[in-house]
Amino acid sequence: MRSASRWVIVFAIAAMALTISVASYSQHPPASASKRAAKAASQVHSIVLPQYPPEIAEGPNVETYRKDCLTCHTARYVSMQPRFSKTVWQNEIKKMVDAYGAPVPEADQALIVKYLIAVKGVEAPATLAAP
Amino acid sequence: MLASLSGLAAASRTFGYAFESSSTRGLATVPAETAARQLARYPQKAELTLLTDRPPQLETPLRYFRSDLTPNDAFFVRWHLSGIPTTVDLRTFRLVVGGHVRKPLSLSLRDLQSKFEPVSVVALNQCAGNSRSLFEPRVPGGQWANGAMGNARWKGVRLTDVLEAAGVLPGAVQVGLHGLDVPPLEKTPRFEKSLQIDHARDGEVMIAYEMNGESLPMLNGFPIRLVVPGWYATYWVKALSSIMVLDEPLKTFWMDKAYRIPDNANANEDPQHLSQVTIPINRMAVHSIFVLPEADEQLRAGQSYELAGVANDGGDGIRRVEVSQDGGQTWSEATLGTDLGKYSWRRWQTWWTPPVKGSYRLMVRATNTAGETQRTGQWNRSGYQRDVIEHLDVVVL
Repeated sequence: MRSASRWVIVFAIAAMALTISVASYSQHPPASASKRAAKAASQVHSIVLPQYPPEIAEGPNVETYRKDCLTCHTARYVSMQPRFSKTVWQNEIKKMVDAYGAPVPEADQALIVKYLIAVKGVEAPATLAAP
Repeated sequence: MLASLSGLAAASRTFGYAFESSSTRGLATVPAETAARQLARYPQKAELTLLTDRPPQLETPLRYFRSDLTPNDAFFVRWHLSGIPTTVDLRTFRLVVGGHVRKPLSLSLRDLQSKFEPVSVVALNQCAGNSRSLFEPRVPGGQWANGAMGNARWKGVRLTDVLEAAGVLPGAVQVGLHGLDVPPLEKTPRFEKSLQIDHARDGEVMIAYEMNGESLPMLNGFPIRLVVPGWYATYWVKALSSIMVLDEPLKTFWMDKAYRIPDNANANEDPQHLSQVTIPINRMAVHSIFVLPEADEQLRAGQSYELAGVANDGGDGIRRVEVSQDGGQTWSEATLGTDLGKYSWRRWQTWWTPPVKGSYRLMVRATNTAGETQRTGQWNRSGYQRDVIEHLDVVVL
């Protein structure tokens, strides 16, 4: 719903811009310039990504998780996962650091594992489950 | 959340692919956290199932698989890195062809459309990790159900014609390919893939500028994407902007570490003893799914119901689809839909009248023209190339 209304706004602004530009060209009618402008507009393809902010599950060291992990990707990369063992989560963090170059200090890595275990660990109590 | 899901599962009908309970957990069971995902509406797209929002990963709801071609606006979306292209200016966009060639090229979309012979093919585009959430034990990664695929009519030019125009030099071994997407960090490896030179020149690999008769949606790779018929979607580079002919194999995380499968016929390994040898994922395995009955459909004894779905393989073509209504004890052949070519999926359909109330296990398996078929068990650490016989547990009232 939120994204739909965003789109209405985007289209409304675009329509207004178009009306204004058409109006100004009709007052000063260099026909070739107007054609050029229309052609230019049809050559530029653009989208605006909607916002679907994820809910971030509360847990120990959630601030470290936000700071180190969510620069590059949404929290849905975690929330869509099933529960995994500590080994799986350690490997995921290792992959982010070694393969993707995530600048996560050594000390933070252990803290983030604790967070992931709390929200998506196999032994975690159900009350800590991510929404 | 968990309570409400188990409430659903305890209702009069359990259905394998809508939610799980201990009794329905199995090969075709979509887990609770997957079933509970929200829908999202992105530009040029219908309402699709949201896996992730940054970068966007959107799954196609199964109802769209009741037609031969998947509408562009319903086609699944999968990007790897958050820097995805959202604006393309066709006045400045160029596909660069370079590397081990006589004459490097810089081609506009208009160049591709006017200087090369147009060709078209119906081909299934399927994510390597489609159906990943069905693996047991579960594996980390995009938790797709069966909707990370789509069948489309692609129009474009042959990759080999473009390479020919650039003049491939002797000694070429591969082409390296990448698109307009950029990594979020300097140290993150840019998404790129490679194909062996003979594959790139086979006359079937295509640079597509149309999908089902229209421009590609931005999120599906506008203005052009690679089409690699029969191969998993990881090779179908979106917003393709660079083709480099190489005289030695491309070294990249995306070929050397990611998208690799155990080196055996059905990408199988034991969780306790992982395969030592892995290879880049390649051709699609034989795979078939149920699209009907729907998850919320009420089934009653003595009434007739349509069972339907789609089946695909890696380019030999589907020869036979069989359905079982008794957990695999007996099988009967389903009717195949229109044959749109060996790279297309094939729809299948049959009818079923459950004789009495009770629990039934429906199963589907496909066989291709090369005699390859599906299995009852398969697992690998990355959840790739699923070829397991799907089942649905249903309760008839």
